[in-house]
Amino acid sequence: MTELDDIDGLAAEYVLGTLPRDERLAVAERRAADKALDKAIAAWERRLSPMIETVSPVAPSPNLYNKIRAQIGLSQHVVSLRAREQQLARRAARWRNAFVGASALAACAVGVLGYRETSFRQDGRQYVAVLHSGTDKPAFLLTLDTKTSTCVITAVNAPPQPEKIYQVWMVNDQMPKPKSLGMLNEGEMNVMPMAPGPETDLLMNASFAVSLEPMGGSPTGLPTGPVLFTGKLVQATP
Amino acid sequence: MPPRNPRLDQLLAAVASGDEAAFAELYQATSSKLLGVALRILRSREVAEEVLQEAYFKVWERAGDFNPDIAAPMTWMAAIVRNRALDEARRRVIRPTADETELENLKSDDEHPIAALERAEDVERLMRCLEGLEPDKQQMVRLAYLDGMSREALAKRFDRPEGTIKTWLHRSLAQLRGCLER
Repeated sequence: MTELDDIDGLAAEYVLGTLPRDERLAVAERRAADKALDKAIAAWERRLSPMIETVSPVAPSPNLYNKIRAQIGLSQHVVSLRAREQQLARRAARWRNAFVGASALAACAVGVLGYRETSFRQDGRQYVAVLHSGTDKPAFLLTLDTKTSTCVITAVNAPPQPEKIYQVWMVNDQMPKPKSLGMLNEGEMNVMPMAPGPETDLLMNASFAVSLEPMGGSPTGLPTGPVLFTGKLVQATP
Repeated sequence: MPPRNPRLDQLLAAVASGDEAAFAELYQATSSKLLGVALRILRSREVAEEVLQEAYFKVWERAGDFNPDIAAPMTWMAAIVRNRALDEARRRVIRPTADETELENLKSDDEHPIAALERAEDVERLMRCLEGLEPDKQQMVRLAYLDGMSREALAKRFDRPEGTIKTWLHRSLAQLRGCLER
């Protein structure tokens, strides 16, 4: 009778399934770099797999395939998001180069926008309002895509305010009073869905202001706290 | 030697290029058999289906690594399922005397036509070689490969020290290999 050498014995027991857990994990790791071991494992898989002919098939639950599809769909979504992020990062880098000589503020705004505007369509006209206090770095960015009618407010550098919340307002000569767009202290917020048309036009020509309000927002429907940051939309892409 | 069913090879090649319809067909053709394989090891439909889900996800991701010169599609996929199932079984330490009733209560289904997976000749030869082993060694190999019994579980079942089981397994596997290569 032939004897199994060390590698073949290890491979055989790995495929048979009888290795103790730690040895099993060690083999799984080692085979990636150990060609001889990997080959021996494949050979034992070939030798023993005909045994599964004797296993009775059992139909999976009907929804299992959907779960698998969902998992695949999710992974593809992540892959495409990653590709999109890389594309945006490259574009942001080009923009930054194009903006050499422009103000630090503009360069910063476009740089940040480049990374954040994942919901924007490339072919849409895009606008950005940098909301700042006049001296500091931008506190909020408001981005608008006219093609998709999406408007996003992002807190980029808003100083934390305990027990208070930042409220964002739209101000326009054609509106009787400031309109609240929402409240946020961090992260980002969608202002919409917004129907294209008059409302978009109002937004396009508006000024934006951020006031500091009690938690829960202004009790009167108008800014009550100090207005800390302001800005107007400018076109972000040619 | 009759050629193996080329359909599964075609499907895997298509899956490697991201063909979702091919993936669906591959799943249809192979999932019942592979669930059967996972279930024998794991004894729980819930856990076996989780393992199957991960395994098919891996098949989708790794189809490009499949090398038809090294393995038949079903051998490759069964290895993915068995490896995951065994890892899970070792992690959970499934009791060696697991209740057989759940398994017996599971309805077994007719084989999907494409899933005449292995070459009949290979199956026949392996069975003949297995039958050449002493009856308890034969049973030991089947219990390990098909039911995922660990050395420890086999030691209890056959009332022998683990070291003896290891020796028996190695001798049996060597004998099998010799027989298969004749």
